[in-house]
Amino acid sequence: MAMQPHSKKRVCYYYDSDIGNYYYGQGHPMKPHRIRMTHNLLLNYGLYRKMEIYRPHKATADEMTKFHSDDYIRFLRSIRPDNMSEYNKQMQRFNVGEDCPVFDGLYEFCQLSAGGSVAAAVKLNKQASEICINWGGGLHHAKKSEASGFCYVNDIVLGILELLKYHQRVLYIDIDVHHGDGVEEAFYTTDRVMTVSFHKYGEYFPGTGDLRDIGAGKGKYYAVNIPLRDGMDDESYESIFVPIISKVMETFQPSAVVLQCGADSLTGDRLGCFNLTVRGHGRCVELVKRFGLPFLLVGGGGYTIRNVSRCWTYETSVALGVEIANELPYNDYFEYFGPDFKLHISPSNMSNQNTTEYLDKIKNRLFENLRMLPHAPGVQVQAIPEDAVNDESDDEDKIDKDERLPQSEKDKRITGDGELSDSEDEGEGGRRDNRSYRAPQRKRPRLDKDNAKDDIKTEENKEDVKNITNMEEPKKDLPPNA
Amino acid sequence: MVLAERSNDVRNGKRSRGPSPNGHGSPDSSSEDENAVVPFAAEKIRVGRDYQAVCPELEPVEQRKPDQISDRALLVWSPTADISDTKLDEYITTAKEKYGYNGEQALGMLFWHKHDLSRASMDLANFTPFPDEWTVEDKVLFEQAFQFHGKSFHRIRQMLPDKSIASLVKYYYSWKKTRARTSLMDVVSDGRNATASGTAKKDSPGASEPGGSDKDSDNDEKKWIYHRGIVRGSKPTTAGGPSRRAGQAEGDGGEAGKWCTVCGILCTQTTQHNSQKLCQACLVHARRTGSMRPLCGPSGRRGPGFKQVRYKHRLPRGIYINHDDLVAMATGPQPGDAAQPGLVNQGEAMLKAMDREIISYKRQVQQNKQQLSAIKRKVGDLGVEEYRPGEPPAKINSRWTNEELLMAVTAVRKYGKDFQAIAETLGTKTEAHVRTFFVSYRRRYNLDAVLREHEADRGNANHIQPGTTSTEAAENNDESNANGSSSSPKSTASKDEKTEVDSEGVSIGASAEQGGAPTTPPKQKTAK
Repeated sequence: MAMQPHSKKRVCYYYDSDIGNYYYGQGHPMKPHRIRMTHNLLLNYGLYRKMEIYRPHKATADEMTKFHSDDYIRFLRSIRPDNMSEYNKQMQRFNVGEDCPVFDGLYEFCQLSAGGSVAAAVKLNKQASEICINWGGGLHHAKKSEASGFCYVNDIVLGILELLKYHQRVLYIDIDVHHGDGVEEAFYTTDRVMTVSFHKYGEYFPGTGDLRDIGAGKGKYYAVNIPLRDGMDDESYESIFVPIISKVMETFQPSAVVLQCGADSLTGDRLGCFNLTVRGHGRCVELVKRFGLPFLLVGGGGYTIRNVSRCWTYETSVALGVEIANELPYNDYFEYFGPDFKLHISPSNMSNQNTTEYLDKIKNRLFENLRMLPHAPGVQVQAIPEDAVNDESDDEDKIDKDERLPQSEKDKRITGDGELSDSEDEGEGGRRDNRSYRAPQRKRPRLDKDNAKDDIKTEENKEDVKNITNMEEPKKDLPPNA
Repeated sequence: MVLAERSNDVRNGKRSRGPSPNGHGSPDSSSEDENAVVPFAAEKIRVGRDYQAVCPELEPVEQRKPDQISDRALLVWSPTADISDTKLDEYITTAKEKYGYNGEQALGMLFWHKHDLSRASMDLANFTPFPDEWTVEDKVLFEQAFQFHGKSFHRIRQMLPDKSIASLVKYYYSWKKTRARTSLMDVVSDGRNATASGTAKKDSPGASEPGGSDKDSDNDEKKWIYHRGIVRGSKPTTAGGPSRRAGQAEGDGGEAGKWCTVCGILCTQTTQHNSQKLCQACLVHARRTGSMRPLCGPSGRRGPGFKQVRYKHRLPRGIYINHDDLVAMATGPQPGDAAQPGLVNQGEAMLKAMDREIISYKRQVQQNKQQLSAIKRKVGDLGVEEYRPGEPPAKINSRWTNEELLMAVTAVRKYGKDFQAIAETLGTKTEAHVRTFFVSYRRRYNLDAVLREHEADRGNANHIQPGTTSTEAAENNDESNANGSSSSPKSTASKDEKTEVDSEGVSIGASAEQGGAPTTPPKQKTAK
């Protein structure tokens, strides 16, 4: 795929000045105010004047039910802090309450966030812009009928659905520290959207995003998960981001890209545990931008708000192809950025638990998966090299490789047997395996795990057990009944 | 879908009870919630009609009508190439500082006028941005409520029922950052109060750095109306008329009489008293006690070009107290008073104006920093190489080291006044340097004697015109060369000299014992 040089593009930016006024509640880490801080910062950097600025319409219930269920949206529309008690049962059902509290203006907040992403997608469809930005969006945990992880309405899914009207294939990339489970789930069974998520995995919210979750049905191999450990730094991140995204671009050949720029993968985040700097985070934007595809940038997590606004401001400048000074301009929230008042941040000295071996192994595994993709039309089909076929000896090779790991690493990977039993959907989507790949694919989405347990799958599971021991996060602290 | 629902229940059970991203991380926090439930235990993506999105059909290209799709958003600004960045900056600054717009509003105005800068600038005055709907009472109430309820905006709202939650949240975020602001003035005034000589306990709380951009003050005299308290100490005359009250035009600097000569406070009315010009307070004190008021606070300002008297406790440099402002502050309606419609709280207005000015200075500071770093980066990117003189001139240095001086003297001994030859021998000096050296060190190193030795060596001193001392010749030579007229008779004489030097150069060079013996024989001069 031809890379385009760092270039100036027509950028549209979506922002509603009310969005900073919503408040999740005392002590809640999610602060919509960060979006206003970002806005103010880029206004004072003079980036504002270089973009088309749009105030999005509030998304209507109709628009939101393109993905979400009617009763869920109806519920969101009617619930208020003062009538919560009448909705106890529904709150339980829709997972609204603790993480996703009912706050004043909740529905409007969702409307603004979703409205921005949908309008941005429309803009891209009209080819009236190359890059659209909605920092108020990126709420990637929201499910079809369920709130989750501070997210109520999944603006990303709504935006992608809009893009799909004009684009055969849309790529979704997620660099939030949390797994983009809402988006992945929404498009788990389609081959028109590939979801690629880089995230911390292992005893971490939301608990999904295993390397072996690769999609189901038609969407098999169209979900790509990159499980990472604490302390990812700029260098490691790029070392895995670049090859995977290049490979994905090459094999999937999307015609539009959505990048979720969750800023909780930055160093020093209140909830995150990575060690990225603003520069490293923004590098991802730069790399994706270079492919020159219609590009939708959305926000996401990010709970140390001064760094969030730094990061998104920088990424706006990257999208614009404009250099901005490291010294922050004076702005309405200048005092938040003390004591240095600089744009860029330094990484902490936390240790990076992602060894090169670990990252290489993930990378190789994902490459194998990507090879299973039917090549996009018009792409020259390359002969798959012999050794790419995953047979027994291949697996044994892997295990051998692990034997050379230091003892301490191996200790971390010991897994209780009970741990592995509930990987319910690995049947269908489980492993790229020669046999299962050749077998006629199921078009019908799998509904429960019992169906999956035919003979071949059971055998696969056994294989998986072997591999999980190598690949999974430390689980030894968990009680056996997990 | 029974199966799906079943699994949904299970999941919801887990999800809703499991801790949030909020509670991740430390093992102890994970066990807090429910002992039975392990947080984030391998959750799985669910498959089924209840979970997946339904992808729309791809619209065939020929059926697409992109023009007819509504934008679903309102365009509030679009970039333009017609207006230069500096012009735009100027416009925004004016809108901000003169009319109280924010940057977004200013650009909105410009966009509304279809990027017509002059029309937008003219229209700026016709609109007033929403005034801050937060009165002082509101703010005080908010602070009290905040102390009481913390960030429970619902509860705070019970004390401020006319405010929306959104407005409270917005105010909270802008108030929060200023909460911890401690002014240098407070520290200073604390110190002063401790030493208790205080008539001027009430400081004007504005603080400003002296010597800020002149541009601001020139552009914008309006704001100075309230700024009589602040004078750019370093250059009072260029500050664009620091003080002016309606109707009482008060010149800057020139009217030294408006500064109380005792306390240094700027005031509109001073009274002559015992050869001093006193402000009201000092006058009262002087009349009552017969002595001058003990000094405190701003050091005596005695008109323009004043000499600052050092006092132990004085205000930061460049900050002065205007007596009238103090009076205005003290006598104006207090925050506690019921707001009187129509009566502008002058003190408050003054403070606001000062705040605005502080902000404008801060903005300037950051801008300057940005410019500096941009320049630095530019230098860093290109490397200093570009600015470094090339290899041979790199050694040229007008400073004379001891070694060089020694060498130069030796060279004079050898080449006489062939400065170019000397310069080439030294390698680190230009001909002009050597010339200067010759003139300035003539006495110190007794160069005349050296020169005579040189001539004696050569055996014939007939090149020096009889009746002309060698020093004069050198001077003349200097002048003529400086004028660029190398064809004057005297310089011809010296050229002749050179020719002879050249002819003997090698042998003399060999006899020189100095370590820095010439390695390159002097360039051959074509004799005239």
